[in-house]
Amino acid sequence: MIEIRNLTLRYGDKAVLDRFSLDLPDGGITALSGPSGCGKTTLLRVLAGLAAPEGGTVSGVDPGRTAFLFQEDRLLPWRTAAQHIADVLPRERRGEVPAWLAFAELEGEGDAYPAALSGGMARRLALARCAALGGDLLLLDEPFAGVDEERAGRMLEGLRQLGTPVILTSHQGAVLERCDDLFRLDGPPLRLL
Amino acid sequence: MWAERLKNCMRIAIPPVFWLGVWQLAASLVGRELLLPGPLAVARALCALAVTGDFWLSALMTLARVFLGLAWGTAAGVLLAFLTHFSRWASALLSPAVKVVRATPVVSFILLVYLWVARAAIPAVIAGLMVLPVIWGNMTAGLAAVDPQLLELAGAYRFSRLKTLRLVYLPSLRGHFTSGLLTAFGLAWKSGVAAEVICPPALAVGSRLQAARLALETPDLFAWTLVIIALSLALERLLRLLLERGERT
Repeated sequence: MIEIRNLTLRYGDKAVLDRFSLDLPDGGITALSGPSGCGKTTLLRVLAGLAAPEGGTVSGVDPGRTAFLFQEDRLLPWRTAAQHIADVLPRERRGEVPAWLAFAELEGEGDAYPAALSGGMARRLALARCAALGGDLLLLDEPFAGVDEERAGRMLEGLRQLGTPVILTSHQGAVLERCDDLFRLDGPPLRLL
Repeated sequence: MWAERLKNCMRIAIPPVFWLGVWQLAASLVGRELLLPGPLAVARALCALAVTGDFWLSALMTLARVFLGLAWGTAAGVLLAFLTHFSRWASALLSPAVKVVRATPVVSFILLVYLWVARAAIPAVIAGLMVLPVIWGNMTAGLAAVDPQLLELAGAYRFSRLKTLRLVYLPSLRGHFTSGLLTAFGLAWKSGVAAEVICPPALAVGSRLQAARLALETPDLFAWTLVIIALSLALERLLRLLLERGERT
């Protein structure tokens, strides 16, 4: 169980997390849903160790062993799709690159640079890179934005087969339906509905 | 088709012909080769110089000095830019010094360096000193412009420092480095030759330029100036081609 207790974080005068508490399962695929700007991304960033809360505690997560998918694709314009995957893999796992490209349904696009990929393809590549990095927990911020429902469903099943716990945010009903747990949130400050 | 080709040829040929005509006309009006030799006299002087081994050796030595200056100035500029970007102390200590170097007239440097360094080494030292602030300025601007989102990604994805340098910093800095190097090359060339004129080493284009001036050989003075311009343009073109090729690969 991931235990979040009394998390507090402000951006200037705006309290995004105000003594926020929640228990999240540490297995399967967990979805966080809520309006844009309610604080979901901030919560994921705290779990990943990318944002430092002013107060509160998180237990059950080692930030150094999480893989975080940013809301933006953050692809390197000068690296090909295959290189993006290879860059996060240790040398002895470089042979897995074609499998990860297949996971993203980007077979045949290994030599393509980000500028040549559509928005959906770039998102899938970013997700594959994050999943290839791996760790004890995948934290995915809008992983299927711009990806069609059918493909998103297949990739979600692919994530499930990895066996790594996943916490994701999404607005897509079809994605939320396929997750094992769903938490509906509102804010700011972030609160459980 | 033919008309278009003719038009293109004219567009290329007319400007030099026009300016050579202006030059010849001005020389005829002045009427004294000592003050303004015509293009034919300069061409004759250039041909006479080109058959001597001294001419080619002087050009080669000047090239070597300028490239040596360009190389050390570039290396030092890049190194200082990284130091001042990543260390506040280094920035507080070194940034004002680099700015002073940038603001100091090249002639002051030549005369000062003349006191401290062997004459043969002065052009390379001066060329490097002129290159350093340009490269430092461009690289500093480039480092400040590296996408913070990519740097955050590198941290979150546990890239080592070396990997972050290779995958994020160096590709992001390529454009700033290229434009800095092209500007710096022109400066290195001009300041290097200026240093050769003021502190003439044994074999150097600048020394020959100075000797021609002292001997009142104005056509030779013009000929050496033409050599400097031609070499500068040719090498800048070569450098641009090399950088473009590097970027493609």
